[in-house]
Amino acid sequence: MIQNNTRPHQASFRDPSGYMFYDADVLRRAINPIYFKQYNALKDGGFLKTLINNKLLVPHSETSVSQDQIVITPEPIAFITNPYEWSFEQYKHAALHTLKVHKYALSKGFILKDASAYNVTFDNGSPIFIDTLSFDFYQKDTPWRAYKQFITHFFGPLVLASYHGTEIFKMMQTHIDGIPVKLIASLLPGKSKLSSTIYTNIHLLAKMERSHSEDYKAETKIAKLSLKAQNNIIDNLFNFIKKLSIKQETEWGNYYDKTNYNDAAFQGKKTLIEDWVTALTPQRLIDIGGNDGTFARTVVTKVPHVIVTDIDSNAVGYNYRQIQQNKETNMLAFVCDVLQPAPGIGLNNSERNSLVERLQAYSPDVTMALALIHHITLSGNVPFERSAQFFAAFSKHLILEFPTREDSWVSSLLVRKREFINHFDFYNQEAFELGYSQYFDIQKKETVPGTKRVLYLLKNRA
Amino acid sequence: MNFLYFDPGLGAMIVQAVVAAAAGVLLFSKGVMYKIKGFLGILKEEDDAYDSIDIDEKEDTDDTK
Repeated sequence: MIQNNTRPHQASFRDPSGYMFYDADVLRRAINPIYFKQYNALKDGGFLKTLINNKLLVPHSETSVSQDQIVITPEPIAFITNPYEWSFEQYKHAALHTLKVHKYALSKGFILKDASAYNVTFDNGSPIFIDTLSFDFYQKDTPWRAYKQFITHFFGPLVLASYHGTEIFKMMQTHIDGIPVKLIASLLPGKSKLSSTIYTNIHLLAKMERSHSEDYKAETKIAKLSLKAQNNIIDNLFNFIKKLSIKQETEWGNYYDKTNYNDAAFQGKKTLIEDWVTALTPQRLIDIGGNDGTFARTVVTKVPHVIVTDIDSNAVGYNYRQIQQNKETNMLAFVCDVLQPAPGIGLNNSERNSLVERLQAYSPDVTMALALIHHITLSGNVPFERSAQFFAAFSKHLILEFPTREDSWVSSLLVRKREFINHFDFYNQEAFELGYSQYFDIQKKETVPGTKRVLYLLKNRA
Repeated sequence: MNFLYFDPGLGAMIVQAVVAAAAGVLLFSKGVMYKIKGFLGILKEEDDAYDSIDIDEKEDTDDTK
């Protein structure tokens, strides 16, 4: 039963079937009597078990059963990422995952009653469906009522991204219930109508939505759709999404091919990081600006959970593929722009937490920011004490690589300031140390052999 | 009991009949191509976790063995 020491989860209020709540620090799910029939059918038929065994649905245990409430406790997810933080490959897998779950539900006499992209997140290296109450009974010959949601949350954003790049996913920040069909249709090029899948699922849908928008009394009879027809829709969407790809120039994709240091320096940096991280024995580590996870990978076997974020969606996508190939189940990759981290969105700005809030809850023992400070400082014009404040908000230990003014990347960034180059004279080690010492103590400081870069180990004073 | 706690969109419910018909045609032609490719021996094996929409129910019994 719900004790006094509980508080509701801010994202869980839309579905009357139940809600998530925190019981002290444990996240649990309460199921209301209105959903008992469904829940028991899903449980007794082995449906939930099969999904869990196939790693499609988050595992849970039943905590309490009473007449007016059932409480289940799902296994905790290390870190929740949102659709606007996924690479193309991740977004695609989340969509395919959702279709897979719905298809299986249909085969067992159930449906996926909502197809929100927020019902999927990434854990153990793969997508996982996290809403155990998203199922309902299939009623003969009824269309899929989460169909439109699937289009606005998954299919639309993916098709748009295949034309315009992954920046499109950020539109999910401003449209919490998916990109409106009309908007998706208007952003697609005319030639997209030549694809019968895009034409019917988006352009025709937008047209039909428009012509039926004035049915205020819900009088129009809803067309019937056979189970076979519904399966056709799902199979076709699955095949189409599986083949979707993206043509996007990469910012950092082949970064390590054009770096300014040689193999020995690369190895030296790896060794330093490995030594410093190992000595700290962290449980959780985050590498911000970690590109494709090259440096995080040097410690992935030593740290129970590792997060790698980067501004470049392609690098994140490349990292995600490596995670899947190497089965690095303790590593999570997502897209993040330090200068514009994901805000809190939805009701009360708290339905989906901001990145900083999530990082604070994750509370990494070690934060790495390797060769990132010059981008923040010189491209973003962020003073040292302000970036120090950002890192101090969630970091205990910070391993920061500071490329000095002599570093070729830094000189290039400085030269591009042209007549304003003198405005950036503050970019030097002394000013850096002064700015960061407002929040951190410098514990170690070493030049990466063979480079013009200095590696710092900083400890948060708070 | 059918509680619709979000509006599925009337147009979206109606359009599904047409979407399904178009999908049916595509899937049928894909099936024909598959058979032709299989006959000619030019089928590609894909190695992706999301290669198939179907899930393996055999794992059901894993913990009872």
